[in-house]
Amino acid sequence: MLVLSMTVALLAGILLLTASFAEHLSQGKRSEAEAPDRGDGKLHIFTGGVMILAAVTALAAAFGEGRETILFYLVDRIPVSFRLDDVGRIFLVLTVVIWTAVCFYSFKYMRHEGEEKRFYGFFFLAYAALIALDGASNLITFYFFFEFMTLCSMPLVIGRGGREAVMAALKYLFYSLAGAYLALFGIFILYQSCGSVTFRAGGVLNPALAQQNHRILLVAVFAMLVGFGAKAGMFPLHAWLPTAHPIAPAPASAALSAIIVKCGVLAVIRTVYFIVGPNFLRGTWVQKVWLTLALITVFLGSMLAFLEKGFKKRLAYSTVSQVSYILFGLALFTPQAFAGAILQLLAHALVKCALFMTAGIFILRTGKTQAEDYIGIGKKMGLTLWGYTIASLSLIGIPPTAGFIGKWYLCQGSLDAGLGDLSYLGPAVLLVSAILTAGYLLPVSIRGFLPGREEGDWGPKEREKADLMTLTLWFVTLLSLLIGLFPGRILAFVNGISDAIL
Amino acid sequence: MREVFLVVAVLLPLIGGAGIPVIPWKKRGAMMIYTEGVVLLTSALAFLLILNRPAGAFTLFRFTGQLSISFRLDAVGSVFTALVAFLWPLATLYSFEYMTHEKHERVFFMFYVMTYGVTLGISMAEDLVTLYFFYEMLTLVTVPLVMHTLTKEAIRAGRTYLWYSLGGAAFAFIGMIFILVYGNTADFTPGGVLDAAVLGDKRGLMLLIYVICFCGFSVKAAMFPFSAWLPKAGVAPTPVTALLHAVAVVKAGAFANIRVTYFIFGTALLRGTWAQKVLTALTIFTVVYGCSRALKETHLKRRLAWSTVSNLSYILFGVTMMSPLGLMGALCHMVCHAVMKICSFFCAGAVIYRTERTYVHQLDGLGRKMPTVFLLFTVSGMALMGVPGLTGFVSKWYLAKAAVAEGGLLSYLGIAALMISALLTAVYMLGISVRAFFPGQDFRYDSLGEVSDPGWKMLLPLCIFAAVMVLIGLRPELLTDLIGDVVYSAF
Amino acid sequence: MSFVQNFPFFSILLSLFAGPLSSVLSGKAAKALNAAVITIAGVLSAATLVFVLGTGESYVYTMGHFPAPWGNEIRVGVLEAGMAVFFCIVMLLCMMGGAAERLLEIEEGKQNLYYVMVNLLLCSLLALIYTKDLFTAYVFVEINTISACGLIMIRQTGRTIEAAVRYMIMSLLGSGLLLLGIVFLYDLTGQLLMDHIKIQVQLLSVTGEYHIPLLIAISFMAVGLAIKSALFPFHAWLPDAYGYSTLSSAAILSSLVSKGYIFLLIKIFYQVIGFDLIVRSKVINVLFVFGVAGMLFGSVSAIREKDIRRMIAFSSVAQIGYIYMGFGLGTTAGMIASIFHILSHGATKSLLFVAASGLTDVSDKQRSIRRLTGAGYRNRLAGVTFTVGALSMVGFPMFSGFISKILFAQAAMENDGKMLVTVVALAVSTILNAMYFLKTVIRIYTPLPADGGGEEAEGNTVLHMRDCPAKSLAMICFIALNLFLGLSSEPIVDLIRKGLDMFA
Repeated sequence: MLVLSMTVALLAGILLLTASFAEHLSQGKRSEAEAPDRGDGKLHIFTGGVMILAAVTALAAAFGEGRETILFYLVDRIPVSFRLDDVGRIFLVLTVVIWTAVCFYSFKYMRHEGEEKRFYGFFFLAYAALIALDGASNLITFYFFFEFMTLCSMPLVIGRGGREAVMAALKYLFYSLAGAYLALFGIFILYQSCGSVTFRAGGVLNPALAQQNHRILLVAVFAMLVGFGAKAGMFPLHAWLPTAHPIAPAPASAALSAIIVKCGVLAVIRTVYFIVGPNFLRGTWVQKVWLTLALITVFLGSMLAFLEKGFKKRLAYSTVSQVSYILFGLALFTPQAFAGAILQLLAHALVKCALFMTAGIFILRTGKTQAEDYIGIGKKMGLTLWGYTIASLSLIGIPPTAGFIGKWYLCQGSLDAGLGDLSYLGPAVLLVSAILTAGYLLPVSIRGFLPGREEGDWGPKEREKADLMTLTLWFVTLLSLLIGLFPGRILAFVNGISDAIL
Repeated sequence: MREVFLVVAVLLPLIGGAGIPVIPWKKRGAMMIYTEGVVLLTSALAFLLILNRPAGAFTLFRFTGQLSISFRLDAVGSVFTALVAFLWPLATLYSFEYMTHEKHERVFFMFYVMTYGVTLGISMAEDLVTLYFFYEMLTLVTVPLVMHTLTKEAIRAGRTYLWYSLGGAAFAFIGMIFILVYGNTADFTPGGVLDAAVLGDKRGLMLLIYVICFCGFSVKAAMFPFSAWLPKAGVAPTPVTALLHAVAVVKAGAFANIRVTYFIFGTALLRGTWAQKVLTALTIFTVVYGCSRALKETHLKRRLAWSTVSNLSYILFGVTMMSPLGLMGALCHMVCHAVMKICSFFCAGAVIYRTERTYVHQLDGLGRKMPTVFLLFTVSGMALMGVPGLTGFVSKWYLAKAAVAEGGLLSYLGIAALMISALLTAVYMLGISVRAFFPGQDFRYDSLGEVSDPGWKMLLPLCIFAAVMVLIGLRPELLTDLIGDVVYSAF
Repeated sequence: MSFVQNFPFFSILLSLFAGPLSSVLSGKAAKALNAAVITIAGVLSAATLVFVLGTGESYVYTMGHFPAPWGNEIRVGVLEAGMAVFFCIVMLLCMMGGAAERLLEIEEGKQNLYYVMVNLLLCSLLALIYTKDLFTAYVFVEINTISACGLIMIRQTGRTIEAAVRYMIMSLLGSGLLLLGIVFLYDLTGQLLMDHIKIQVQLLSVTGEYHIPLLIAISFMAVGLAIKSALFPFHAWLPDAYGYSTLSSAAILSSLVSKGYIFLLIKIFYQVIGFDLIVRSKVINVLFVFGVAGMLFGSVSAIREKDIRRMIAFSSVAQIGYIYMGFGLGTTAGMIASIFHILSHGATKSLLFVAASGLTDVSDKQRSIRRLTGAGYRNRLAGVTFTVGALSMVGFPMFSGFISKILFAQAAMENDGKMLVTVVALAVSTILNAMYFLKTVIRIYTPLPADGGGEEAEGNTVLHMRDCPAKSLAMICFIALNLFLGLSSEPIVDLIRKGLDMFA
């Protein structure tokens, strides 16, 4: 099923790209002026159909049994194979939900942006890569699709933008690849000391060899953490994120922030918990440095977001900060922290998706991009702004939202981890960051609803109606609320995982 | 007596090629058919020889007692032979279309076909003397190709190429002399021909000679500091830069180094010595150096040439590892890089052929007009940077694996260099693709004029190369099993 | 005593008498006579060579059957006979190749004088090869010098006269030193016949007496001959002498005259002093150093040269350096290499001179390398010939230069101390050679610019083989000779080895 859904997405992507090229070529023959707007309906039906088909098959895979499927063999007879385990299931469901939502959201948004076929083409290719990533059963397969995903998502950033967007996309590519190669460096070294590269809960490190190559292995693991961390926007390879996210079209930013960035997290989970094993790292310098880096990123991201004026850029900095919460949780190696990390991951994915969707709607309707510009916007666009506000509350971590539960567990895990100063420093930083988060998210809501006397006669003339964009926004927001309200099932599921791996 | 066919395979293109300018052709088509026929026949013969490898050697000619021109096809030689035999007919096909916009076609095809014979001579050489002989010949028959356009720049490039190459050969010559005197034989023997007992206190000297000899052959393989000629030689017509300066000539240098290291001096003598360390360090440096120069270069073909410099040193890095795994990595990369780089050069050639644009910044927006070419260029670029699923990853994997198995600071540095190089490759290759496909919002496509993909003679080889890249990328065992056997036979 | 044994003597005598005879003949007749003499001398020498090879040992021939020291003796072995054959062949080809130039460049009335000189030169060369008497050798050295001066001077332009004078002065300095050396030896030993001196010298060396005077004698002779054969740094006379004289003179001077002196030096090493003693005397180390320096500096000067003839002349300096380097190795293998290089260089250098003139012929007789652009297309044979010569000089396999390079390198292996220096010098020298020779090759195959080259190309003509049959034939023969030396070097090396065994 998993492979089927991947294939569907892949084929659709290739088809759309080919169509886009064909269009360009025929356009070249005709005059530039009559760029046709017709055919959008057909395109949307096709895209939507494929999306649903892929989603259904993927969900079927997610709730079905995890059977091993081998596609072909890469180097050294290492297979490219898929088997869904529980971590994979969480990511897969999340991916499917967000991708489908973003897809429907972009029907309207991308019509204004143009180059639709190309966008959907790469959108599907990236989707295929993401499904494959979630299902990958060994490190090489994972790496394979990790690079594939990077390359496919790069054109998403460009959209129809000018030179600046291209440069941003290249920056994204450069950082991602730098990270990937840093990780590959680690993989090469790890491979020597591992019996296999197949993911297994608790790691596959050969203890004898590991003892022998202790020092170089730690370096290798660290390289992988920093490398994969680049994708997750971890300091010091975070700089691509605030450049690429704001400049991309809103659906792309939403997808990037919600899912693509999480691939870095997935990579870290796979590396640490399924290849190396947390026991190998517990108490080493790697764990400490990793924690420190994560905390630095948490604080740095929030602070920069607080200082930032551009709305989307502010959200991007917020992503930098929030994703490192997750990495912080993963670095603690305790069950609570792990559960916290996963919850934070779910919450952040949904919430950040919602926030970027809001940004997209605002920009589309008002054409303004600075956070301070949206004064009094709640009057005409209350629907959107309410969605934004609820999502913001969740990100800040105010009960009963999902964000709160995640952060709670994170702090608890940190205090339990017994890491000395870092154990106490962690929660403190998280708290400060939460306050900063409130500081940079809520003013938009407050000034939007309560403009005071500054209200001018700007913005959309008519009141907004519920359309596909606001619907998807609310869908995602409500989902995040649901998680916050009923976290029990998920927590139980996550605990099942952490029992196996810790 | 199958051995005779070895000589036939070498002489056929030499003689057939010499015939091209002599025969009074009525039509261009006839010449094309003749040329392609000669090349195809040779390739067929080469593949038949590889499949039924004659066991013995064939001596064509004897200068003096020790010095003879003799041929034997062994496993390692077959790899190079097969590579060349696969690429040559396709490249020839490509040049038929490309050369329509250059002059002196016949002279070009004469040397082009003759080079084939000389390259086969290198791959089938039985001993160091034969290798050296054809190595020198290779310089001679390729210099006219480099200077083909006969512009000032081309002639200067040709001169540089000539001096570098002959200089390299002069130092390789030193190695040959020492082997003739101290070796048990000059024939290529797995494990080397030097006897530690005979050498005695000359061991240190032999290491020095090895370094000199390796550097000599590395001139063709464009190792730093002998790499400057390669980008300059980019002025040659694209089929030459593609086939010769990405495959035949430069790989001949790398191949010669494999011969010298594994079959002449022997790894037992060299492993762990300062000689190995110095050379490894040089290759590592070249890997990074080539890439950074490529990044700085704005001329499309020169950029690719610098990339070749870097990639050739991957091969040499594998060679200097002096372990079975290292040899495996080197041979893998030899094959993989050949396909990738010839593909990217051919794409560049197609662009030049169609648009006369040679600088990277002139390529904006061309991806829309020539989608196939730029798609294949992107594929080859991704292969070069080592995206899994394409050829580059396979060879990189084995090289890195060999380096990890070796351990030690230099090896880890080597892996790091490979990674840095991959990253830089991504920037300089994908940078071009991104430009071509995404020129930015306000780009006016009108300014490009009427441009389209080239004809089938150019596209077919390109597509075949791309297919091979994907095939080997997805089914690497097809290649690695073969090379594994080859490596096994060399130890 | 077989009749064949007289042949060397006959050939010397023949060329000696042909000289004066030519002075009363017309230019044309003298030319025919000269060709006949060279051919006959060659045939006679070849017959001798076959004879000596048959008997397997050298023989001494007493002129007029007076035993030494009253009579004069010559000594004939494989090496001598072989060298004589080679000299005759090359000389014949040089004369053939330069015939047209001589008609143009030498005054009508002086044509026959040229042949006088050539005949005398041949005579002296043969005498130098065969003689067993040190004083006779000196006499013929002088004859050689004078006739060589004549060859240079006969083209009466300002520069040739200056060159001839310079050559004369340097040469006489060399001869003087040689004479001094001979006098020293005579003083020490009381002998002039080579093998007699050798016996005495060996005795002296055993007793250790007169060590210093002996050393001085050796040095004088070595330096004297080195000057005459243009070993670096005594080469200043050479570029002008070779560069401005008429073609056949340049070819003969570069490929034969200097080689004659070198051969004499070899004779002195082997037959007068004894090779062991020479090796022990360390003189060879000096020769080695200057040889290596010559190899490099000669080439560097050639690279800077803009005139093709002078460039080839400078290349001679480098090649002479190779030969002395071979001496300097102090082994038999080194000596074999040097002797082979005498042959190889003799064949190649004259080829280059002839080919270069073929190229300048089609470029308005202008000799600057720039003017030769595209000359390879205008005179195809000359282009090919020049390419062959250049490749041979660079040491490309198949051509004679490669074999000498290999022989030198292999010889170097036997000498631990000089091994690395030699091989590296060879490598560097190869690169340097490549730089100027192949640059020229590329130049002659660069077509003229599309506009025809403007002023630069004025006076360019096209020559086919039938337009200059003699020169073409000479070039073809030279190529054949070169390929022969390169491809079947083994019998020749054997011959040299055998000759060297017989020599001492």
